[in-house]
Parts: sequence; structure tokens; C-alpha cells
Amino acid sequence: MSSEVKQFKIRWGMVIDIDKCTGCGACMVACQAENNVAPAVDGSNKLRSLNWLTVFRLSNHKPFPDHEVAYLPRPCMQCGKPSCVSVCPVIATDKREEGGIVSQIPPRCIGCRYCMASCPYHARYFNWYDPKWPGDLAQALTPDVSTRMRGVVEKCSFCHHRFMKAQEAAVARGEDPMNLPDGAYITACTEACPNGAITFGDLNNPAHKVHELIKSPYAFRLLERLGTEPQVYYLSRREWVRREGDNYLEHEKTGEATKQG
Amino acid sequence: MDRRGFLKFAAGGTVGLVASPIIWNTLYDAVYWTQNWGWIPRLKKGESQYVPTVSKLCPSGTGFLVRTVSGVPVRTIGDKNNPVTHGAMTALAAAEAELRVSPARLKTPLRRSPDGAYIAISWAEAEKLLKEKTQQAGASVAAVSGDPTSSINEVLSSILNQQGSSDFYFMPDEEQPAAVAWEAMGGQGRLGYDMEGSDCILAVGAPVLESWGVVAANRSLFNRTHPVGGEAGQKLIYAGAVQNNTAAGADLWLPMKSGTDMALLLGMAHLVIKAGKNGFAAGLGNFASFAAAYTPEKVSAITGVPQERLEAAAKALVEAKKPLVIAGSALGSGGSAGSVMAAIALNMLLGSVNREGGLLDLPYPVSVVAHATDYRDTMRKRFVDYTQNVAAGKTKAPALFFVYAANPVYSLPADSGVKETIKKSGYSVAVASFMSETCEECDLVLPAALGMEAFDDVQTPYGSGRVTYALARPVAKPFADARSAGELFIALAQELKLELGVKDMPELLYKHAYALGAPFRAMMDEGAVHTARVTLPASPLFYNWEAIRAAASARGEEGDLQVAPVVVLAMGTPQTAIPPFATKVVTDYQLKGRYSVAQMNGATAAKLKVNAGDLVKLVAGNNVQITVVAAIFEGILPDTVSLVAGLGHTAFDEFSKGKGSNVLALTSVRREPGTGLPVWGLAGVKAARA
Amino acid sequence: MEERNNTTTPATAAKKCSCGWGAFVVGLVVALILGWWVLPNLMKETKKQPIAFSHVEHVQNQGMTCEQCHFVRADGSFSGTPTTAQCAECHFTVLGSNPEEARFVREYVQTGREIKSEWLVYQKQPDNVFFSHALHFGPLAELKGPKETAEFCSRCHLNVAETDVPPVYRENRLSGYSENTMLMWGCERCHAEHMAMGNTNASNACFTCHK
Repeated sequence: MSSEVKQFKIRWGMVIDIDKCTGCGACMVACQAENNVAPAVDGSNKLRSLNWLTVFRLSNHKPFPDHEVAYLPRPCMQCGKPSCVSVCPVIATDKREEGGIVSQIPPRCIGCRYCMASCPYHARYFNWYDPKWPGDLAQALTPDVSTRMRGVVEKCSFCHHRFMKAQEAAVARGEDPMNLPDGAYITACTEACPNGAITFGDLNNPAHKVHELIKSPYAFRLLERLGTEPQVYYLSRREWVRREGDNYLEHEKTGEATKQG
Repeated sequence: MDRRGFLKFAAGGTVGLVASPIIWNTLYDAVYWTQNWGWIPRLKKGESQYVPTVSKLCPSGTGFLVRTVSGVPVRTIGDKNNPVTHGAMTALAAAEAELRVSPARLKTPLRRSPDGAYIAISWAEAEKLLKEKTQQAGASVAAVSGDPTSSINEVLSSILNQQGSSDFYFMPDEEQPAAVAWEAMGGQGRLGYDMEGSDCILAVGAPVLESWGVVAANRSLFNRTHPVGGEAGQKLIYAGAVQNNTAAGADLWLPMKSGTDMALLLGMAHLVIKAGKNGFAAGLGNFASFAAAYTPEKVSAITGVPQERLEAAAKALVEAKKPLVIAGSALGSGGSAGSVMAAIALNMLLGSVNREGGLLDLPYPVSVVAHATDYRDTMRKRFVDYTQNVAAGKTKAPALFFVYAANPVYSLPADSGVKETIKKSGYSVAVASFMSETCEECDLVLPAALGMEAFDDVQTPYGSGRVTYALARPVAKPFADARSAGELFIALAQELKLELGVKDMPELLYKHAYALGAPFRAMMDEGAVHTARVTLPASPLFYNWEAIRAAASARGEEGDLQVAPVVVLAMGTPQTAIPPFATKVVTDYQLKGRYSVAQMNGATAAKLKVNAGDLVKLVAGNNVQITVVAAIFEGILPDTVSLVAGLGHTAFDEFSKGKGSNVLALTSVRREPGTGLPVWGLAGVKAARA
Repeated sequence: MEERNNTTTPATAAKKCSCGWGAFVVGLVVALILGWWVLPNLMKETKKQPIAFSHVEHVQNQGMTCEQCHFVRADGSFSGTPTTAQCAECHFTVLGSNPEEARFVREYVQTGREIKSEWLVYQKQPDNVFFSHALHFGPLAELKGPKETAEFCSRCHLNVAETDVPPVYRENRLSGYSENTMLMWGCERCHAEHMAMGNTNASNACFTCHK
């Protein structure tokens, strides 16, 4: 695998405004329902539960009453230099399609879990057991994403099927499927967020909102200095939140890694 | 054939097989086979449709598009064209397509046999039973509804009235104390909040971004006033004991001890009067001198809010063009009227009454069913007074007791007398969609269709700033043998030869739409939603300082610790319990295995000598004892533990049952001084390491 | 071993040898017959379509176009085979004299039974294969007449345009798919070779088809 950042004409990306997120979890519910992630009986067991998108609670680590709280939704970062792709022995995960979404094909996966070890964001999950939809729950499966089986790894796909649907719809309207208007393709979590904390679009396309948003002085990415070049950006006006995005030493300032790019 | 010949034959056979496609094709087929394990469900493909309707499970009547595939609902997606919720979803509404087919869903009518077990019966049998029992009961019939926004209530209350009973109740909710307060202050209509028009909202105790009012609408407002990466157009100040979801979105958090809402509001009143805000109305002088006792020092000592934050909040209110103060309760029921009165007084001082961005006087929903009790009259009645009287033997137990869309056995304090009322009543009937704790107590359980399976409606929910009316339309067939509750009650009335003035649900909805001037056709065909700003003659409000003084005299909580409950919609409502697709939203600081998690700050933990992860016993004033896991979180007042509501179910399915403890078990019913309103006292608890 | 060799005369050895080659050939032929014909047939189960639908009748005699039943919906998804409701737009009552039609009206239209869920799809793919018809219909607009369209579609599908009865449906007992189901190499004729049908921009990335 080359160590170059993969370049694409279209680069789907997400900008998550942490100051707008209040941690309600509607995005997580929508994600599971859309992508046919089986429900967990004990979802509070975070070692066993499988989420493509997880909302983490952040703290400014100050004691009461100066404590502040923030919530951080974490999808797959769709890295520009994905460490998972380079370690997969069977090319079950790959990044080579327009849009720059890192694909994961569970039936091709052999379950070695190298990708999970290599992902610095813990965005990948392993099916330790067969997924179960007790009773009649399987009736509510969507037709968009195939169900997985025990022994394979899965992760967020930026609802790639919605990209395909948006392309189909564009073709049906006689438009260019490779030049979708802003909002024609958004993920289920973006759609579900009641606070509008998630903005989704083509980072390369000046007609898309995200193109401008990532230039904000408040924008940052998670563990930016690892050089994974995520396609997911976060926004926060609060310095302490931005500092939570990476392991900073006391004298270090945020925002420098972005400039190095 | 000899051995050598056989070997050659075999060799020939091998070469032949290798040269034919069978082995390779079989290998290929085996690959396909491994992708289709029989025990993993397959997808059903088909045509997708997106039908707009509203949620009847989510208390805010979230407007969503139900996506069906070949007629089966698979997703619910926020409806951007809904003028109330603007496409905003809640974790509960997002899980509704899956809730529709959840294991806890009731499939057929159930009748309790003498040995206590349930027997599945047919609808014909159930209806016959229902008719007989209603006829036998005569006037001795009572009913409670947990869905105040539905006009199905009118059918049920009409049946009761025509039988000669006036015992139709709403479950205790956020509106009942507010209605008492608004009336006490001179309000003549229904209390409304124009949050959209305000530029600074102070929410005291009311988690406006998670459970208070029309949550989905509140969230969409938060979205619109807080542009991504831009300057907020509306300030939000939240006062509560825990840094909950609302505090996370607020510009300023006032860490306020549970149950000290009134002191905080009176302290704010004192500060805004000092700053020259003194909107005139009768009683101003008396109120001002009463509030003058609530100096920042004193309020800070009572509420725990640092003085400078009190002053910052008051400054924000004084400087805002259209400030709005909202009071509410963390639990969404059992709140006090006094704090709402104080909030109304504060709004009056700020000039935020009967104007854009302030408190409004809205019309109450009207009844269109013959002999039905009006919404307002039902809202005035107190269910807990009734059940406690029945339990104590002061009121005769009803011969027939209906529980519609409610789960009072779970959602009311243990001493509310509900369980006893059900036990004492001659026959109890639950009309519900899920197998709740209340269903398990009843003699007859009837499976009700969900909002997406039947005709129903959402009339202006409490917390709205305008009149709204939305229809729930059947998008899919009712699950299994479930049936529209509205049609069931109408059929019962017809069987009993009672007069309703409507023959079916669509006609009932039509009459409502007509009364409101709403576009019924468009609502029915396209899922349009009616909204209207209705201005009534301004109510002659006055500072009812005596009522406020009486309410403020309520005694504080005892015990070493305060319990601060947190409501999150991901836990569902008492009627739904935890939706299967929301269990992963439940965090490890809310639930750990089978224990609720009690969050407390480091200082509290040190005082109690517990570490994160320790098991702690909490003993409430009513001697109820629960075991919880301690967790450290600095966003909580000292001497306070926070517990999430919605756990501790003993019914429903594996997604809800046996998880944690019910916060309501720690509460007990008290009467508010002055109003006599039943309020849930979160009795102070004692804690010890388990 | 040595002992046995000693007892064999050169003449008998030669005879046995020739007989042995015969055994090899017999084995080869038997295996080839088994491997090419008997076993593949045993692996497959012939199934009958629920209705003996005639494309000839609909297209040639009644002058219908393909798109009347098989069309791209407004959202870009493809309708596939028609539903009972679609068929009933014409066949709400028996129109002709064909007994199959009468049976269809009686058993499906009048009872509301869904023909679409019973129809055996020759090109049915596993759940994790997602195919977009709309994105493959680029050249379709320029094609004229059912014949050209049928030719275009039959690059992947069986050409059914001129069939009076549905083709035989044979299902693999192991995989559960029709013998006509296209395998991945069939897709790769274009997806791996960009210029196979002119520049089709076909991507061979996994997510293009799999999810």
C-alpha cells in the first residue's frame, strides 16, 4: 500500500458541530435501523455492543461547578490514509472509489481483526456472535444493507447505499450522477440529528456547505497528527473540546496540525 | 477387473472429473451457500414509499415520514415539511418502525384466567366481554388516559359520562400544575410559550431539549437559532441539578439543587426588579417585597447556584429583547404549581406575557364528541387524589376500570394507590400497544394499533406557542391482531346504544379539523399539518403573591443526598419502555448490567467513601431501597446523585426487563401547600456502600 | 512384489496393460459424463413459474412496450417484474381465452395474492449484491424498438422478449440460485475492463455493488 493520501474528485465528508450536539442519540438509532445493525439486549455493555456510530461524552476535567460537558458522535473517519486498508490481508476493506469512502465487505472478511487493531478511532466492530432480531423484529430490516454473520468485521459506510440511490435518482432526472447538489446525498445520522449538528457533503465541491465549514478556525479532526487525514471534521468554539481531539502536551496549541495538512 | 485395472479406471475417473466443471461449480455454489446462512434473516426488497404522518408514541408528536418497503414500515425519517417539528427527530420516534414489531408488542386480546395466566382470545370474545362488563358496571366505571393529545379521549369520556360516571382522568403530566398556576395568576385560556419568538430562554427545571414540552419542535428551534459554526441567535440558560442534555446545549448552566426551583425564580425576580424590570399588574408591590427577601446570597445558599451565575442569568434576561422564562419538572410529572407561578410572575416583571416571544393565552382544545368532557375539565381533575382515595377506601372502587395508553403502575410513585385501585376494581381493562406493568395487573388486555397503523390525532401539545393539529394516518396494517383504540371505543359505544355524534375515527377527525378551520382533505391525503396563531383577549393577570408565598412554604427535602432524576427519550416512555433499537444509546453511566448507575461528583463520592464502580445502597424516605453502581461525574451538585428515569421495568421484553431501578420507586406523593396538588417528593435518600 | 513380478510373463503383462488403458478410458468417459451432465443435472432442481406468462402475446400481439411493465421509478429504482396490482390494471377481469390468464385472474387478482413475490427471478442475486438498473441504462435511450432493447437487456438477462412460455427455471440445490444467475466474473467483463463497451466509467470498487 502506498503511503500517499488517496486523491479523488469527490470526497464525501462530514462536519460535526460539537457545540450543537446534546447527546440525544437519535443519530445512533437511525444508523442502526438504516444499516440493519442488530439490536443488543444489554446495550450498556460497550465491549459487546456493536455500533457504526457512537456518541461519546466529553468532559473538560474540571471539578464542579466549573465542569463542562460535550458530546462527540464518532462515525468511521473514512481516512485519506486508512490504516485499516493497508493491513487487510484479503482486501475486504478498501478505498478506491470516487467519494473516498472506505469500503468494508463483510462476506469477504476472514475475521482476523487486524483492521480493528490498526484503527486509531475504534470505528470497527467485530461480530462475536450471530446477529439476532428477536421475534418479528426482522420485519423491519431495510432492503439497503445486507445482514452480516458471526466472525466478520463491520463499520460505518457513510450510508453508501444512499450515495447509490442519489446517483440513481440523478440519472432518472437526467442529471449528472457525479455532480450531486448539496443535500442530495446525506447519511441517516445527518438526517436524524434534530439539532442539525451534522453537515454532510462533498469536501471538494465549493457548492457544498462542508467545503467552507472545514476552513473554520474552530474545525479540527481526531488524532490529526497521526496523519490519517480523516474525512470527518469537528467544530467547536471551545478550546478544551478541540484539545480533546488529540493528545496535546501542555505547551502545545490546537490547530497546528491542520495547517501542516 | 483386477487391481491394476481398477486403479487405472479410478485415474481415468479422476482426470475426467477434474476436466469437468462439477467440482469447480460446486465450490462456487458453496461460496454462495456460506453467504446465506438459514438462521440469519434475509432482506426483503421492494418498492419504497415515504408517507408523512406523526408519532403517537413520542410525546411531542414528532412529524415523520414512514418509509415502507412493499407496505412494511422499515424506517421513520424526520418530516421537513411538518410546520411544528421541521424534520427534527427524537431517539424514540427514530426507533418507532422497529418498536412496531418489537417482542413486547401485544399481538392478540388477552384475558386473565382464574389461575392468573393470560389466555389469548378472539376480538369477538373480547368485545362481548367488554360490552357485558360495561353494562354491568353502570355508573361505577373509571378511566385514565395517558395520551392527552388524542381525541380518542373524547369517545372514552363520552362513554363514561353517558354511563353516569365523571371519573375520566388524564395521567399526571407537566400541564396539570401549569394549568393550576396559570389560573391562579389570572390566566383565562391555556398557558402557551412562544419559544420561537424569544431571544433568551431561561428554563428552570424544564429540560427543554430532552423531555419538556414539544421536544422535537424545541430541538428544531435550537437547530435554527444555532447555525453550524456560527453565532447563536437565541440564548438558552438552563437551571437543573445535573448537566444533562439540555445543559449541554445551553449557553449557561445554573447548577440548582432539586426542588429549589421556586427560590431560584424568586431570586431572579428580585434581581430583575432591582434592574428596573417591573411590569405592572395588580399585586406588584406585595410580590416585590416578598421577593426582596430572596437576595442572591440567600438564593445561592438555598439552591447551590454560585452567586455570579445568578447575576449573569439575570443580566441576560434583563438585556434580552424578548426573554422567556419556563418552569417545569425533571420527571415530566408530579411537578409543583408554585414554580410555574413564580415563572409566570418573572415573565410578568419582564413584560413577557401576551406578546411575541413570551407567555401566551391559547385556547384549550374543544370536544366534538357528544357528551364528552372538555379537555380543560379533564385537565383540572387529579388522578392521584382519586386513586389514593380508592386505595384508602374513602371512595368506592369502580366496577370497571379502563387504562388507555398509560402505564400508571410504573410511572407513578408507589404510594399513589394505582395498584390498589386496579386490584379493588371489579374488572380492569388495559388498552395498550405493549405488554406493560399495568397490562400485567389488568383482567383484560386489548392490543391497540400504533399511530402509524390507525387514525388518531395530535392536538396542540402542552408547551406549544400556537394551536397545532396533526393527523396520524394508517401507513401500514396493524401488527398481528392489534386494532385501532378509537374504533374499538366507538364500536363499544355503538354496542351500548350510546350517542357519540360520530360513526368512525375519520369523521371524528374531520369534525376536529372543521372546528379548527384546518384543511382536512390535505391533512388526510398529504399529511399536511395545521398551525394557527390564535390571539385571545389578554387575560387580566395579577401577581398572586399569596399563592406563591404558600407554595414557597413547602418543606425542603431531608436526607443526606438529593436524587436528581434525568429523563432521556432514548429510554422510551412508560408506555413503550426501552425501544430495542435504543438500547445502545443507553450509556454505561446510566446503566451497568442490571444496576442503575448513580452519578455523583468527586466531592460527594469522597464524602460517601465510594469509588467509581462500587455498589451503593440508596434508601429513600419511603424505605424503598435500591442498589446502584457509583460513577463519578463532575457535572452534578454536591450531595446529589443523578439517576436516569425509564429503567427498572418488570414487564415488556428482554430489552427493558430487569435493567436497573425505577427512580419513581424512590418518590412519594405529597401535597403542595396552597394548591393541594399531588407532587412527587423526591425524598432525600441515605446512601451506604453495599 | 518381486515374487509376483517373477510369475508374470511378458505376454500377459502386455495384455493386462492394454486392458488397463481401456479401464482408464472407461473411467474417463464415465467421469466426464457424470461431471458434465449427470451431476450438474442432479445439482439442479427444475421449478415452474407460477403463471405461464407469454411475452409474445403482450409485446407482439398487444403491442405493449417493455417499459409498461419494467420501468425506472421516479426515485431511480427499478420496478423489476410487475406486481399483481400492476397486472390487474388490465387483467381486472379475464380478457382473452387463455386458461392461464383465467387462472391468474382467479387465483391472484381476485384474491390479492402477490405474483411478484412468487415469480422466480432468473437473475436473482445474493443480499449483498446491489445492482442499479438506472445506472446501467445509459445507452437505452438511443435504442429503438423492443428488439433492440431486448438485445441490450440480454447482455445480462435471458432474452425473453420472444418467448411464449417462460424459460425453464433451474435452481441450484446447494446455492439456492438459478443457473442463469450471473456470477461476478460476468459483471467484471465491464467493471474490470473499462473499455469493454466503450468508456462506461464502470468502477470496480467493492462498494459499487456490495454492501
